[in-house]
Amino acid sequence: MSEIDHRERVKSDQAKRIGNAHTSGRFDVPVVVDLTKCITGCRICIDSCPVDCLAVNPETHKAHMKHDECWYCLACELDCPKDAIVVKIPFLLR
Amino acid sequence: MDDSITDADIVVVGGGSAGCTAAIRAQEHLPRGRVVLLEKAHIKRSGAIAIGMDGLNNAIIPGHATPEQYVKEITMANDGIVNQESVLAYAQKSFAMIQKLDRWGVKFQKTETGDFDVKKVHHNGTYVLPMPEGYDLKKILTRLIKRAGVRIANRVMATRLLTERGRVAGVLGFDVRDGHFCVIRAKTVILCCGASGRLGLPASGYLYGTYENPANAGDGYSLAYHAGAELTGIECFQINPLIKDYNGPACAYVTGPLGGHTVNAHGHRFIQSDYWSGQMMLEFYRELHSPNGPVYLKLNHLAPETLTEIERVLHRTERPSRGRFHEGRGTHYADDLVEMHISEIGLCSGHSASGVWVNEHGETTVPGLYAAGDMACVPHNYLLGALTYGEICADRALSYIGGVAEPALDAEQVERERLRLLKPLGRATGIPHHQFEYKIRRLVNDYLQPPKTAARLGIGLSHFMRAEEELEQVGAANPHELMRVIECHFIRDCAEMAARASLFRTESRWGLYHYRLDYPEMNDDQWFVHVNVAKGQDGRMQLFTRPVAPYVVALSDDEMKGYHRLRIAAPAAPVERRGAEA
Repeated sequence: MSEIDHRERVKSDQAKRIGNAHTSGRFDVPVVVDLTKCITGCRICIDSCPVDCLAVNPETHKAHMKHDECWYCLACELDCPKDAIVVKIPFLLR
Repeated sequence: MDDSITDADIVVVGGGSAGCTAAIRAQEHLPRGRVVLLEKAHIKRSGAIAIGMDGLNNAIIPGHATPEQYVKEITMANDGIVNQESVLAYAQKSFAMIQKLDRWGVKFQKTETGDFDVKKVHHNGTYVLPMPEGYDLKKILTRLIKRAGVRIANRVMATRLLTERGRVAGVLGFDVRDGHFCVIRAKTVILCCGASGRLGLPASGYLYGTYENPANAGDGYSLAYHAGAELTGIECFQINPLIKDYNGPACAYVTGPLGGHTVNAHGHRFIQSDYWSGQMMLEFYRELHSPNGPVYLKLNHLAPETLTEIERVLHRTERPSRGRFHEGRGTHYADDLVEMHISEIGLCSGHSASGVWVNEHGETTVPGLYAAGDMACVPHNYLLGALTYGEICADRALSYIGGVAEPALDAEQVERERLRLLKPLGRATGIPHHQFEYKIRRLVNDYLQPPKTAARLGIGLSHFMRAEEELEQVGAANPHELMRVIECHFIRDCAEMAARASLFRTESRWGLYHYRLDYPEMNDDQWFVHVNVAKGQDGRMQLFTRPVAPYVVALSDDEMKGYHRLRIAAPAAPVERRGAEA
């Protein structure tokens, strides 16, 4: 067996059993919150979201889109008492 | 994972349209009873009509239509494979629901004399009742459910049903925010979990750009299957004509009565009826893939005031971000045709016919287990069917609980489910749920999307069986991700059912919904039967047939073929603008 064949056999065997590696990425998300209007402590939009993709941002204490899982249904935007939310059409569809 | 143990008489899983009427009805008739509603979102904005609905697509209003007429239309739209008793039960009981909704404050379109202003969209009958201000519907239902005193558990997702000697005994699940494990012991369970809407991948590639509310991931199909219930018509997929990329309805039921219609690239009509049926979808598919493609929604011949009215409805209810989408693309109804496409596949009895097998009382084949709405097979049942069957199920559940003892809690079933839920949390650095989901749904598109062939379906099935092993590598870093991982299990279950049921029925039926290139003809001699799926004794998926029950409303052979004549007979010239400029 050539050295290259042997190497490939070792590597493909390792590839089957080795753990996962990760990377962090940047995503453009549809829900944009105006931090000057959003009320700290209010969770109305977070309750409204049918897919639970909104959460309080621990850094700003305001709502933000935490998970890239928006159905662009506008529930958060319509229910916000301060008109602090604009929902854009997700970039992939825009 | 901490436990919370609750006892209930009736548990309703899912607080959408069917779940709301089921819970309201059950609690009203059981004032001291324990009615619990589980909702994995929040009931104020959950289910398929989170943002309201623009009309009832199947209203049978005395003076405009009769229940028998409606049963005929649905029978022919489903090429005869219907349990007419369950369609008739809907047809007879749904007008009372319309009157009730009217009393509750839902605003229907009425004529000057105060009658319901019904429109014709179907091939034969007149069944569409517009609700131009239908955006309040979910708010009204939420108010009533709170007033009735139903115990609401928001953000709790059901993951398995408890059973005891073949009957239902409760629900297991978890809080998708704090991760609490929920054990609910109950005499009866009413499943109202919506469609399997995250099965195919939208052409945009965006996981959540689905036609259905993406919270509806096929939870109910999987819950019922693992509890031993039969499912039916799974091979009769849901495929809808939608606005391309936006993936929302175009929407025939709103624009049709006002003069909008579907055209090809030459601006010519090619179908007689825009009512969504498999036969209509096949003509749509053929036109899309012909030299006449693509297909468009044509509104640019309408008067400005008509367009304003259409926009007022379409941009405020059901999918109100439609207007924003068109604005971003620079598309204007007055000048442009709106490009259309066909949706990804899904399972949904609200629009087609795939769901849990139920009879005219909403009973599944598991004692004490009921199902209503998009996940229960009452073909083309739509919103009004969900609202009506929610009540039908509640009535049956109420009469059932009197005769049965409190079920015992089976610690073994509880423990097994707790361990299943803990596993993904134990490998937080495993494959992320969205990568697993993208892959399986992409494979659904590659191998299950009609037209179907045995070879392609077989390859798909082997991928879905392999996906069962791959799920053992998918990890969750928190309860939210665990919700998505368990949804991946539901999606995989539905994909396997869809592949097996499609392989089993070796004929073509329901137009595009089950178009087999290797068996292109409809074969009534062999296949005038339901195809059902259930979990066998060995834990594997079993396929079998059930005869179509004798009809209660007879159809002639000619009537039965009514939906096979949807293509227009002669080429039509484009309609020119009328109104102001005419």
